[in-house]
Amino acid sequence: MVNFFKIYFWILIPFLLLNNSKQQQDGYKTISHEVIINHPGEKEPVETILEEIQNKNGLPIQYTMDVYSVICLEQVCKVIPVKLYWNNIGEYQKYELAKDATLEKYEADLFEPQDYIKLQSILSNNNSPFKEVYLDEILTVPDEHGDEDLDAVSGATSLELDEKDTVPGAALTCYTLWHWANGDVVLKIKNQTGKSVSTSQLQEFILDKNNTYFKIAINEFQNRKEFSKPVVDTIIKKVLIDSTLLRTTLSYLKNVSPELYFYALNRFFFEGEKEQKLAAIQSLRQTSHSISKDYLDKFSSKIKSLNSFQEVSLFLGLMEDKNSNSKVVIENSMTLLDADFLIARRSYWFLKNQELSNKQTNRLHAFYEKHKSRL
Amino acid sequence: MKRRDFFKKGTKAAIAAGSVPMIFTSCASTNDIVYDKPQDKWYHLGTGKSGTPNRKPVKNYDVAVIGGGAAGICAAVAAARNGSKTVLIQDRPVLGGNASSEIRVHLNGVNNIKGKAERETGIIEEILLHNRFENEQEAFPVFDHVMYDFVVREPNLTLMLNTQAVEAVMEGNKIKSAMCWQATTEKMFTINAPIFIDSSGDGLLAATSGAEYRTGREGKAEFNETYAPDEPDGWQMGATLLMSSTDMGKPMKYSPPSYAIKYTHEGGHKRRKFAGFHEGIWWIEVGSDDDIIADAEENRHKLMGYLHGVWDYIKNSGKFPEAENLALDWVGSLPGRRESRRFIGDYIVSERDMTEHKHFDDAVAFGGWSLDEHNPGGIENISEPPSYFYYHFKEVYQFPFRSLYSKNVSNLMFAGRNVSQTHIALSSSRIMATCALQGQAVGTAATICNKRNILPREVGQKYIKELQEQLLRDDAFIPKRPANDPLDLARKSSLIFGSSTSSGDAKNLLNGMSRDIDGKINHWQSDGLSADIQLEWESPTSISKVELKCDTNVKRNIMMRKDSRNNDLYGNHVPKEMLKSLSIQGRVNGAWVKLGKIEENRTRLIKFNFKPTEVTAVKIKMTDTYGTKNVKLFEVRCYA
Repeated sequence: MVNFFKIYFWILIPFLLLNNSKQQQDGYKTISHEVIINHPGEKEPVETILEEIQNKNGLPIQYTMDVYSVICLEQVCKVIPVKLYWNNIGEYQKYELAKDATLEKYEADLFEPQDYIKLQSILSNNNSPFKEVYLDEILTVPDEHGDEDLDAVSGATSLELDEKDTVPGAALTCYTLWHWANGDVVLKIKNQTGKSVSTSQLQEFILDKNNTYFKIAINEFQNRKEFSKPVVDTIIKKVLIDSTLLRTTLSYLKNVSPELYFYALNRFFFEGEKEQKLAAIQSLRQTSHSISKDYLDKFSSKIKSLNSFQEVSLFLGLMEDKNSNSKVVIENSMTLLDADFLIARRSYWFLKNQELSNKQTNRLHAFYEKHKSRL
Repeated sequence: MKRRDFFKKGTKAAIAAGSVPMIFTSCASTNDIVYDKPQDKWYHLGTGKSGTPNRKPVKNYDVAVIGGGAAGICAAVAAARNGSKTVLIQDRPVLGGNASSEIRVHLNGVNNIKGKAERETGIIEEILLHNRFENEQEAFPVFDHVMYDFVVREPNLTLMLNTQAVEAVMEGNKIKSAMCWQATTEKMFTINAPIFIDSSGDGLLAATSGAEYRTGREGKAEFNETYAPDEPDGWQMGATLLMSSTDMGKPMKYSPPSYAIKYTHEGGHKRRKFAGFHEGIWWIEVGSDDDIIADAEENRHKLMGYLHGVWDYIKNSGKFPEAENLALDWVGSLPGRRESRRFIGDYIVSERDMTEHKHFDDAVAFGGWSLDEHNPGGIENISEPPSYFYYHFKEVYQFPFRSLYSKNVSNLMFAGRNVSQTHIALSSSRIMATCALQGQAVGTAATICNKRNILPREVGQKYIKELQEQLLRDDAFIPKRPANDPLDLARKSSLIFGSSTSSGDAKNLLNGMSRDIDGKINHWQSDGLSADIQLEWESPTSISKVELKCDTNVKRNIMMRKDSRNNDLYGNHVPKEMLKSLSIQGRVNGAWVKLGKIEENRTRLIKFNFKPTEVTAVKIKMTDTYGTKNVKLFEVRCYA
C-alpha cells in the first residue's frame, strides 16, 4: 500500500511542478535538473527534479525539491507533498507544505504547531539518529519509546529515540523527510553548484570561511583541468592558514605542472607552520618528479628554525633519500648538534653517513665521546 | 606414595586385563557414584582377554573452568594465556552456551547506549572478530566450530566436551576435585585443581560444594531496589526456545504436532510483538517460581508445545499473510536459560550499584544492557508485556571482583549469570558479552592465585591492581580506570608523534584509556595511509615486545545476528576501521632494523614479540586497514 501511493505520487510530480515552479524573482533564474536519488525508504532509486535558483550573476543561491511525507493508517496511506529548500552547498534550510495541507501522526492526530517547529529542528540536524535507523525499525515500532528485548531475538529492536529527536507518533514522517533533506541530494547540490559557477567564483569559494566551498571548488577545478598559477596561488593562500586542507590540496597538486608543484611546496615550507612544512617534506619524499639539488639545498637553510624533532627527522630523511652528501646540507646540519638532545642525536646519525671534512669529523667525534652512552 | 605421584600413575592406567579398578577413595568421595565396573563382563575379541575397562581417569590442572559458554571460554582462555594449565569442561557437544547453534541467542552486550554501542573488548571481541573472518556466511553451526577453534588452538588449554561436573569433592572449605561425567566415553573424571571457576550458569558443581546461593527475587527492602517486588518471592526468569523459518518460494502448509499448545494471542499485551517472527520469538518463554532446574524438562516440553502453538497461530490464523511461504527450517530443542542459582560472594551487586554508577575500587568488568526483567509467567501470562525495561543506561556501569568469588568456598570463582547479584541486577548483567568480561576477569585472577599461591579473596584484597593492570593490558576495558603499568616502557619514552594526524593526538596512546569515552578523545588518527607512529627514548632501551590497540569501532556491534543487520549500530563484517597491515622497526646504532611484520591482522590487540633489542626509537608503520582511509590507534606499549 505504501509503495502504491509512492508510485502514484511520483507520477504526479511533474504536475505539481507545473503549478509550483513558475515563481521567479527579478533577475533570478530557475533551472530544473533531473536527478536520481537513493532514498533508504525506497526500494528503487527515485528519478525526480531538483530546482536550482541562480541570482543575476549566475551564482546558485538556493535549491528546492518536491518530496512527500507518507502516513499509513489501517492499510490506508495518505501522501502529503512537501517542498524542501537547501542553500548552495546542500545544507537544508526549510520545508513548506502545500496550501491547506497538514501533517499527521499515527493515531490520525494532526501535527500541533510545536510539532512543525520540532520537525524543522529535526530536519536541520544532519546528525540525527534517523541517519542510523532502518525503515523496518520505524514501521514495526509505532511507539518510539517502545521496549523491545533484543536478547533472545531476531528481528525486534529497541529503537530508542529521544523525544527531542522525533515527533512522537510521527517517526515515519520524520524519517522519510530527514532522508530527503540530508541524503543523496546534498552531494548532487554540491556538484551542481560547482558546475554552475565561473572560475573566478570558484576562486572566491576557495577563500570562503566555510571549507565546504573549498572542497566544491577544488573538486571542480580538477574536473575542469584548471591548473593555472592564479588558481594555485589562491589555494596556497587558503592552505597556509588552514592546514586541514593540506591533504586535498596535495592530491590536487599531483596534477599541476612540476614547476607549479615545486613552487607550491616551496611556499608551504618557507611560509607555513609545522603542518605545512611536514606536508611539504613528506610530499617531496614521495614525489616521482626529480628534484634539483639546489632546490633542496635551499630548504636546508631553514633547518635551524625547524621547531620539532619530527620536522627535523623528516627533513633529514628527505636529504638521505634525495640529496645525500650535499655540502650545504651537511654544513647546516652540523649546527643541530647543539640543539635539543633528541634532535642532536638524529643529526649525529645523519651526519655519520655523510662525507665530512676533517673538521666536521672531529666535531662529530666530540659529540660521540660526550654522548656515546645515549646514542 | 606421595599423593601427586599416585595421581600421576592413575592417569596412565589403561585397559588391562585383570587390572584393579581405580577407586579414588583416598582422594575423593565417590560413594554415590553409580559406576561399578566389577560387574562388567567384557570379553575383548581382539586381545582374547576379559577384564574391566578403566574409565576413571584423574587429571590435574592449575585451573578448572566449568561451563563453555561465552563466560567460560573467556575464563579458560584468559587463564591459559596467562600461564595456567587449564581445563574447560562443557556439558554440551558444542561451545557457546546460549549463543551456540543449539540455542542461537545473539551474543549481545552493551549494544546501545544513547544510540551507540560501547562494545566489550578483550577475549570476547577476539572471538567475535574470529567469527567475522571465518564465518562470513553467518551460520550458527559454523560459529560453534569457530569457538571450538578458538579454544583448542590455545596451547595451555584442554577442552572436554560432553562432560558435566556433577559433584565437588571438598577438603575443608576448598574444592579439591570435581567429579566430571563424560557421557560419550562413560568416563568419570576426577579433575583436581587449586582453583575452580563455575561459569556453567546453573552452577551444579558450586552448589554441591556447599557454596551459598539463592534463587528468586529479592524484596524491595533488602537492597533498596526500585524495581524489585515489594516482598521477596521465588520467581526466576524463564528459558526461551527459538526457531527459524525460511521462504520456500511457494505456499507452505503447516500442521502442528500432537504436543503443540494452542495459542490465540487473546488478551496479549500490545508489546508482545511478532516483529521478526521468522527468526524466532523470544517471548516463547517459561520460568518458575520454585525449583527451576528441577522443572527444566517439564518446561522444555511445554516450550516445544508453545513454539508450535505460536507457529500454528502465525501460519494458520490468517493474521500473517506474509507467512504463507514460510516453513520452519530449524527448531530449538534446548531452551536458553536466563536465571537459576545466584551464588553469594563478598559483595552482592544490586540495582542501585548499576543505576547510580557506583565506583568500585575492585572493578574488573562492565555492563550496560537495560534493566530488562522478563515478566513473571512468561508466555503463560501474556496480558503483561513480555519484559519490563525499567531503566536504560546512559553510560556503562562497573562490576566488582568481590561478586565473582564465593563467600564460603575459598577457591571457587564465578562468571556469568550465577555471580553474586540480585535478581534485578541480573536482569541487565546476564547478557552474554557482560558475562564474558567477568570470565576474562576470573580467568586472569585464577592465574594470579596460582602464581602467588593465594586464594581469590586475597587477590581482591591485595592484588587487585595487578589483576586490573593485566586485564587492561589484555585489552579488557574497565570504566574510569586508566591503565598505569609500571613495566610499560612506552610511558618512559621522551617523545611520541605520528607522521600525520587527522584527529586526536599521538600522546593519547600513552594515557591508559583504550577507547574514546566519557566525552574524551583517547585516540590518534592518521591523515591517510601509510602512516607512522614513532617513539623516542633519551637512552637505548631494551625491548622485546610491542603491543598496540587499534580501532575496531567499539561504538558499533559486531556480533552475528540472524537478520545480518548492517547499519551504523550493527555491522555484519570485519570492522573497516581495523588495522590490517603493519610492521615495526627499532633504531639500533642510528639505523632502523626490522622487528616484526603482520600482513593480515585479525585482532584489536596486536602483539609483536622479538628477541630483546636495544633501541633508541621504535617506529610503527601502518600501511592498510580493512576499509578506512585513515588508521586509528588507542594504545602503544613496549616491554622489556
